[in-house]
Amino acid sequence: MVNWIPFEVNIGGILMKLQQSAMPRGRAAGRLVALWITAFCVTAASAQPSLSHAPDLLFHDGMQGVTAGPFNDSDASRFLTQATFGPTDAEIAHLRAVGFEGWLNEQFAATPTYELDYLNWISSPPLNEQVGLDNRQEAWMLGALGGPDPQDIALIHIDQLRQRVAFALSEILVVSQQSAGLNDWPKGLAYYYDILIQNALGNYRTLLGEVTLSPAMGVYLNMMGNRRANLSQNQHPDENYAREINQLFSIGLVMLKPDGTPQMSGGNTIPTYSQSTITNFAHVLTGWNWASCDADGHDNFTTCFRPYQTPDDFLTPMVPYETPPPLSPNAPNYHDDGSSVATGDISNKQLLQYDGAVNSGMLADGGSAAGDLAFALDNIYNHPNVGPFLARQLIQRLVTSNPSPAYVQRVAAVFDANRASGTQLQAVVRAILLDTEARYGQWHSPDTFGKMREPLLAVTHYWRAMHAQHHCGKDIAASQNSAAINYADQPYRYGGFLATRTGDTRSGVAQASLDAPTVFNFFGPSYMPPGEMTTRGLAGPEFQLQTDSVIVNSNNTVAGRTFYLKYDPLTACDPASIFGEVMVDFSPDLALAGSGTGGPPDALVDAYNRRFMSGQMSPFMRQALIDYLSTIDSSNWGTYWPTKRVKLALFAILSSPEYMTQK
Amino acid sequence: MRPDRRKFIRQTLRAALGGASAFSALGQLQLLQAATRANYSFGDYKALVCVFLYGGNDGFNTIVPISGAARTAYDTTRPTGTGQIGINSGLHSLSAPASGPGSPGDGSAYGLHPNMPELATLFNDGHAAIVANVGTLIGPTTQAQYIAGTKPLPPQLYSHADQAAYWQASPPTNQPITGWGGRIADLIASANTGSAPTLTGLNGQDAFARGLDVNGYIMNDGSTTTLDFLLYNPEVAPIFDILRAAGTQAHPMERTYANTMNHSIATADVVRTARDAHDFSSFFPGANADLAAQLQTVAQLIWAANNNVSGYTGLRRQVFFVTTGGYDTHSNQLATQGTGGNPGLLGMLSKSLSGFYNALASVGLASAATVFTASDFGRTLTPNNGGSDHGWGSHQFVVGGAVQGQKFYGNGCGFGGPSANFGLVMPSLVNPTTNWGVPSPNLNDPGEGYGRFIPTTAVEQYAATLAQWFGLGSSDIALIFPNLGNFSNASNFLGFLG
Repeated sequence: MVNWIPFEVNIGGILMKLQQSAMPRGRAAGRLVALWITAFCVTAASAQPSLSHAPDLLFHDGMQGVTAGPFNDSDASRFLTQATFGPTDAEIAHLRAVGFEGWLNEQFAATPTYELDYLNWISSPPLNEQVGLDNRQEAWMLGALGGPDPQDIALIHIDQLRQRVAFALSEILVVSQQSAGLNDWPKGLAYYYDILIQNALGNYRTLLGEVTLSPAMGVYLNMMGNRRANLSQNQHPDENYAREINQLFSIGLVMLKPDGTPQMSGGNTIPTYSQSTITNFAHVLTGWNWASCDADGHDNFTTCFRPYQTPDDFLTPMVPYETPPPLSPNAPNYHDDGSSVATGDISNKQLLQYDGAVNSGMLADGGSAAGDLAFALDNIYNHPNVGPFLARQLIQRLVTSNPSPAYVQRVAAVFDANRASGTQLQAVVRAILLDTEARYGQWHSPDTFGKMREPLLAVTHYWRAMHAQHHCGKDIAASQNSAAINYADQPYRYGGFLATRTGDTRSGVAQASLDAPTVFNFFGPSYMPPGEMTTRGLAGPEFQLQTDSVIVNSNNTVAGRTFYLKYDPLTACDPASIFGEVMVDFSPDLALAGSGTGGPPDALVDAYNRRFMSGQMSPFMRQALIDYLSTIDSSNWGTYWPTKRVKLALFAILSSPEYMTQK
Repeated sequence: MRPDRRKFIRQTLRAALGGASAFSALGQLQLLQAATRANYSFGDYKALVCVFLYGGNDGFNTIVPISGAARTAYDTTRPTGTGQIGINSGLHSLSAPASGPGSPGDGSAYGLHPNMPELATLFNDGHAAIVANVGTLIGPTTQAQYIAGTKPLPPQLYSHADQAAYWQASPPTNQPITGWGGRIADLIASANTGSAPTLTGLNGQDAFARGLDVNGYIMNDGSTTTLDFLLYNPEVAPIFDILRAAGTQAHPMERTYANTMNHSIATADVVRTARDAHDFSSFFPGANADLAAQLQTVAQLIWAANNNVSGYTGLRRQVFFVTTGGYDTHSNQLATQGTGGNPGLLGMLSKSLSGFYNALASVGLASAATVFTASDFGRTLTPNNGGSDHGWGSHQFVVGGAVQGQKFYGNGCGFGGPSANFGLVMPSLVNPTTNWGVPSPNLNDPGEGYGRFIPTTAVEQYAATLAQWFGLGSSDIALIFPNLGNFSNASNFLGFLG
């Protein structure tokens, strides 16, 4: 094995990265293998030819093994872009100190941040606030930004990887406050999201089981209160969850090869199931309802609707209703166990068939609701599609929109090898992040590797990287008509950032957690934006969200957050602001902006290149920024020029196509 | 020699039909060249407005039998009561012919849902029509053929995303490159001069509004958004402009992002000015619902196109794509569709469609626009507890001054003539199956249960009728709807537009 040693040479201001084999292993010494250089003439005073719009190809290593990295700040920043809610200077330094494996192990062991902990804190004494949807987004933001806990600032949230994976899962196993009245139950939504957090680095079968019995999902996709057929009333079980758990949460619509590409037969794809399969699943998923339906001893299954619920009902998994409660001895079994075909049951329900399916996918009659559910979920989970189906989507959420089939296959293989393991998703995520394609895809396929950043993740990146805290806001005592409000002096309660909600495209980025328009998330995994990418068959799922309105709105939001929403201790808070706002502090960057009355802004541009763009800012963009910022100095902006440079640099970068493309 | 646009469309569609990737076969060079534009020119203005109801609207509770055998069948399958979804009062009578052309064809009288009085009035005044049992089909399909599996079917029936894609894009592909709204726009774009958008989506991006050449202008919630920070911080413009310069970026995603931003910036001001040139809000009272807001915007844009508004001139043909959701009524169907004082989905649909018609009629533009509804699919006639499941064929509305209204249209007698239990326009509601897998005596029912209905009018035929009114020639219509050739030519143009 050749031992490559990277080294860097600075020639006339151009950084060249060279490869040279090392001596110790007896190989030929001094063999210059790869020399990558930007399109420059190395002469002192001649005019510069046009600069490349592509990032420098900073090839320096690949042979020591991916897992030995990161080898420089750019590597570290790229990794953190994929594995967290955005790199920060501190996290880059930390990752370099402990390495990829060390960082992953820390993350696997880190204490999870749960949304209900936050919501229970604010709704309990002494705060006694009323929990609303905004509070749930605050809880989400606490997990996404990390940092001190508002209840106890000595407790620092660092579980970035878990939170990032949970967010990716929330875009596959979708529940949304946009429908089914879930917007009335923020704690129920938090309970659901906490299931994703708890299992994000666990086992996918366990996750599926808990998601299936969560009240939020039961309400969202109609398994709650679903009951066996009743032909005399011409009623049959609802098929919504039966369909979506197969189509979206596990196996998809067509049979896949292990590399995620579709199997073909005579030029056509092969469906994974038929309508009858869905109907059979629907009959299995019957008999479950709110845990408190029969709390008064009577059979209330058919009338156990929302008016009976209290918020705690959303915090308890669904339970089956098969045996009569004490005061209703004639209550039926609401679960279809196949025993009563005359009234509409399906006997010997045929579920998914595939090689190795238990009992060839046939569910025998006479089972309990829980037993039948377990059989059905196992039947789904053991389908060979699940590995590649999930692997491809998780790669798309974290790393790149168009993974090679080989990459998908490698990750799917890890999923399959760990099917029985309680740390299955740890292994999967590790396989995704440490694959050579994730670490070096931008060199192997610079023209196709990468993905567009999700607007919400661009916001979290900005806030993390720029030390955002909550400022302003008021304390208002509880009154007869309203609950208490406690937002004054709460730097780690991320309130007031209303502008991230989907419905509010006029002032936001049209994206928030658990706020997708439909169960198909904000964008589909196969979406291709019109034009060049469609021509070349390149998926760009996140582009589906970036319509003409949203993209402009996002830029207005970015402008707002760079130009206006900054923490300035000299500026009094707006007295009308009750909930305050999340603001950044860029004072540490002022010293980088230049010197004296202006001077070169290179240090600022380079710092932001590392912090926001993983060192991949193109030479063209870098020079354009330097040239532009150099025109801002004391002659036109007085003593304000450093602040102005910082703001302009932030806006120019965050709204740029190069930044918005994560590669 | 530059390839012409028609040839390119044909190749793209053929590639999609054949299952091969369109990108590999044709070569990127052809696709990157601008095709020669087709030669259309018009002296008048027309607008096509698609109102897509996401989720699968239940046509059976929208257009409800009042009397006759259909009513009896409806009562049997959809009783009233707790957990049921039947409606037995408050229906607004539709005064279509009782028999002959334009009648439902089954001897029954029909009415609209109780919350749709406005649309019923429009129908009875002759400005709205019903297209019955329309849905996705590759070719005429009978129950026997469905059960035997001897006919190709649209892929992934009963799947929202796939059926919505098929409705909007047709031919059969799950990853449509273009929608037929976009393909129509591609062909007629040469009829427009100036820089106002030919194709506009009012509420998000989807296949219908995607053409090969024509780039639809996509809004959200019916509103445009302009870059306002430039007003307050003009000093940022130089660097902003440099970094978004078209075509300069090295990565296709960077270029695509820049193009979207540039397109949006260029178009937003034009569209906003046009939209604000007239105010139709009095026709959309209480228009907080997204559907009403979108249709009001469309009406105002149509006014602008016909009244010389600066920047919005030179328009002869426009396609609009309006969308709204929530129609996936698996449960709580009656309340969701609308009851009592709560307009619900159907109440809002009725008010919005009639508000749109009345607004344009008030300024003499009633015949300038034809609105047509579309949806993923219909729903099961047989209910589940309080709702219904995914179905297939359903009924749609067409509204406008050019519509030959007060009539029912469709190929209900199938494609080979009338047969027993096979509705003559409206599908028979008699004896839908409840158990899966049991062939139904009702030939509209695919025989797999729950009262799903095989469509007797194809999306392509519905669309072709609209495209013909819009001004496309028959060979171009055949070009952009390749499956149309699978149906008899006599059944392809349904006659609801004069």
